[in-house]
Amino acid sequence: MATPYFSKRNLQFLLHEVFRAEELTQYEYFSAHDRETFNLALDSATSIADTLMHPYLKEIDKNQPELRNGQVTVHPKVRDYLKAMGDAGLIGAGFSFEHGGQQLPELISSSIGFILMAANNGMMYTGLTSGAAHLITSFGSPELQAAYVPNMLAGTWQGTMALTEPQAGSSLSDVSTTAYPQPDGSYKIKGQKVFISAGDHDATDNIIHLMLARIEGAPRGTKGISLFVVPKYRLDGTDNDVTSTGIYHKMGQHGVPAMHLTMGERDDCIGYLVGEPHHGLPYMFQMMNEARIGVGMTAAAIATAAYHAALQYARERPQSRRLNEKSQLDSPQTPIINHPDVRRMLLFQKAVTEGSLSLLLEAARLYDISQVAEGDEKENAFLLLDLLMPMAKSYPSEMGVQSVSQSVQTFGGYGYTEDFPVEQLYRDIRITPIYEGTTGIQAQDLLGRKMTMKGGKAPQLLFAEISKTIAEAGTFDDLKPYADQLTAELKRTQDVMMALMPHAQQGNIERYLSDATLFLDLMGIVVVAWQWLKQAVVAKQALLTQNPQGDELAFYEGKIHTMKFFFHYEVPKTLGLAVRLKDTEVLTIVSEKELAL
Amino acid sequence: MKILVCVTSVPDTTTKITFTDNNTKFNKAGVQFITGPYDDYALARAVELKEKLGGTVTVLNVGEADTEPVIRKCLAIGADDAIRVNADPTDAFFVAEQIAAIAKENKYDLILMGRESIDYNGGQVHGIVGELLGMPSISPVMQLDIDGDTARIVREIEGGKESLEAKLPLVLGCQEPIAEWKIPNMRGIMTARTKPLKVVEPTSKDTLTNVSGYELPAPRGNVKMIPADQVETLIQLLRTEAKVI
Ligand SMILES: Cc1cc2nc3c(=O)[nH]c(=O)nc-3n(C[C@H](O)[C@H](O)[C@H](O)COP(=O)(O)OP(=O)(O)OC[C@H]3O[C@@H](n4cnc5c(N)ncnc54)[C@H](O)[C@@H]3O)c2cc1C
Ligand SMILES: Cc1cc2nc3c(=O)[nH]c(=O)nc-3n(C[C@H](O)[C@H](O)[C@H](O)COP(=O)(O)OP(=O)(O)OC[C@H]3O[C@@H](n4cnc5c(N)ncnc54)[C@H](O)[C@@H]3O)c2cc1C
Repeated sequence: MATPYFSKRNLQFLLHEVFRAEELTQYEYFSAHDRETFNLALDSATSIADTLMHPYLKEIDKNQPELRNGQVTVHPKVRDYLKAMGDAGLIGAGFSFEHGGQQLPELISSSIGFILMAANNGMMYTGLTSGAAHLITSFGSPELQAAYVPNMLAGTWQGTMALTEPQAGSSLSDVSTTAYPQPDGSYKIKGQKVFISAGDHDATDNIIHLMLARIEGAPRGTKGISLFVVPKYRLDGTDNDVTSTGIYHKMGQHGVPAMHLTMGERDDCIGYLVGEPHHGLPYMFQMMNEARIGVGMTAAAIATAAYHAALQYARERPQSRRLNEKSQLDSPQTPIINHPDVRRMLLFQKAVTEGSLSLLLEAARLYDISQVAEGDEKENAFLLLDLLMPMAKSYPSEMGVQSVSQSVQTFGGYGYTEDFPVEQLYRDIRITPIYEGTTGIQAQDLLGRKMTMKGGKAPQLLFAEISKTIAEAGTFDDLKPYADQLTAELKRTQDVMMALMPHAQQGNIERYLSDATLFLDLMGIVVVAWQWLKQAVVAKQALLTQNPQGDELAFYEGKIHTMKFFFHYEVPKTLGLAVRLKDTEVLTIVSEKELAL
Repeated sequence: MKILVCVTSVPDTTTKITFTDNNTKFNKAGVQFITGPYDDYALARAVELKEKLGGTVTVLNVGEADTEPVIRKCLAIGADDAIRVNADPTDAFFVAEQIAAIAKENKYDLILMGRESIDYNGGQVHGIVGELLGMPSISPVMQLDIDGDTARIVREIEGGKESLEAKLPLVLGCQEPIAEWKIPNMRGIMTARTKPLKVVEPTSKDTLTNVSGYELPAPRGNVKMIPADQVETLIQLLRTEAKVI
């Protein structure tokens, strides 16, 4: 039997028992759905993942795309996969009926992304297409929509996000690709883009770039950037002068080419403005939360696949005897899962991966509510989501890297070989803390903007939400100590904020943000602790009311056990972080004196 | 062309099977149910035939309300409507009686089933239904084409294949490669919600058989390592212990 790459039971638990997916159908926008439409959509994705993705995990890693004579060739299965996704209607399932979708909530769409990426994250194509198409349906003219979106959702055209340039990575305001207005209302595009995922390949008939560029003469900085549709081939089939000038050979995610593109080498690259001039960055930012949930999901998915591989291996690999039976050399070796150190590694992986997935589904649900609710409910969901996003992107990716490292460790020497998938997954996951805003940028977003926006309303809302879970947990004797511990953690983050705020008030932003990443780490632990407590409350209720037996009993008890693990092994790390964050010694800010590094 | 497809709702193949009530009842808690894989082939072919020749595909299941997710999936794949006979499918004869009763009322041109269920693997229901309806019943069918009122069939027989022709109506037990499994698309999933699902009561509630107990096979033994140069030993063990040659 093939190694499972995710737990269906856990996904069902989170979707239906913890986040009560079906409650979303009470909103008019989602009312055509019910539990079965959700489950069937997940089922269809799983079928595609099982048959067209997972079997090619290694093959795709071994056969990197190549750029030859200006053509990029990818694994032939990518085309089959894209066609299956298009036929299944899964690329645009979350789009409105009007735009050819089925109004599937992000809660379910992002779970589908999770399944697909756990099966084979090297086939990271469809998320890019739906993100690009969503920009067109949200801000583009009806003509642009009609011309591009249907083929994109059908999986026959690829969409990309073409933002990064050599001098404009984290700093998108420095984008310099230029758009020259033409008499017919279109633009001629000139410039270069780097690292464009799926930026060129032969698995679709066209590539549609959603590209940031500056209209000639536009103001400097963020206010002068516009968004364009720049196709590889124009609608009449002619070449649009987008040249693949390079392909990056990457550490992981070998299935997807990352391209260096040059526009306008022959001065004949046409782009079509999306929405208003100079609104490119705000448009992108409105899509940012979705994209970041996507990257967080990819990280959680890769770490989940690695965890399940490690778990299976640990059950099967006999090595050594238990510590109390060391002298009994005649007794058979025990499976390594029985060694406390191995069990600790496995619990760490379970705690990180299932905690990450829970946090991401929380974010996805808030995204849905922020889209379809009204009044205060909408506004609050939006603020909460905005605040949670840096953690929901960075915790799964940063901790996912560590989790997969522990998956490799669980395999011992075999984990370092190509005989098992974990070495690949370790390489694959490493990109997730980098793209879609590095961890450093996420941290500044959290501490520099989100903690303080609207007079600090977002953290107030978050603490109120967490307090609800604490109150529920407090009603069960065995969960109460953890509820109390989480209350203390909230207090700790407030103390840290109090210590940092004066720097901001004095206008010393560099000092205020110098350890922002450590603050992000701290907040990440706190919100994942919240997610674990939330899961434990649901598990506890199930244990008390459903009288589960066998695997079901083990499932719910395992949830409570892992919550305890998280609180006893991970939550105490906040102590060290808080000590440093409140420390007055400054060591990382550049000073006059030149110090050797 | 009016086609009836009979489907089972069976535990996913990876399920760990446990029993309750003193080993007399299968424990359904936490079990993922799926459409019987052979039934899925039958359904896929039925939908293809409908697309080619026109007509309707009705899905039938004998089972309690918890089989409805499986029925819904069949509707999402392309069946037009569904009937659920509201009863515990206690044995093959009982199930066949229910199917026959529905078939008598509705006059189908084709009754497609899986070659066997994957929970009890009886491989009997199609035979009994054919008998009860006085129709030919053929299994396991690997290829099926319809030409007017004639079915051209290829079925697997010991060591080879047999090509047959038969006049409709027919009862067929299907297997791969009659068609490829279909993955429901989002549009199908959404329309399935509003397709008719009729629940009818069984014609009789007689229990013909009673389960007095279930027993799991002994757990599989450990791996035996045989040095590469001892092929004789390996062959011996394959014969005497594994009993596969
Ligand atoms: C495999 C892959 C796929 C990609 N796919 C795409 C894609 O599809 N589309 C696209 O547009 N881009 C894509 N990118 C680009 C990616 O988004 C950028 O690499 C990323 O945003 C970082 O930019 P950079 O590489 O220029 O690094 P830099 O911005 O140079 O960052 C280098 C380091 O400096 C830190 N840093 C930078 N600025 C600050 C600051 N102000 N404060 C503190 N620290 C700072 C960063 O955190 C980082 O650690 C991809 C990259 C890769 C590797
Ligand atoms: C809750 C439950 C309780 C059961 N209790 C008993 C029991 O007490 N004793 C016992 O012997 N068996 C029991 N069964 C098994 C059940 O009787 C068989 O699955 C069914 O009778 C088919 O028998 P079979 O394996 O011979 O099917 P097969 O003859 O192998 O099935 C061939 C084909 O017949 C069709 N078919 C079979 N069953 C159904 C159905 N229910 N509805 C629609 N089409 C069908 C399908 O197309 C299938 O592929 C139980 C099953 C369930 C789910």
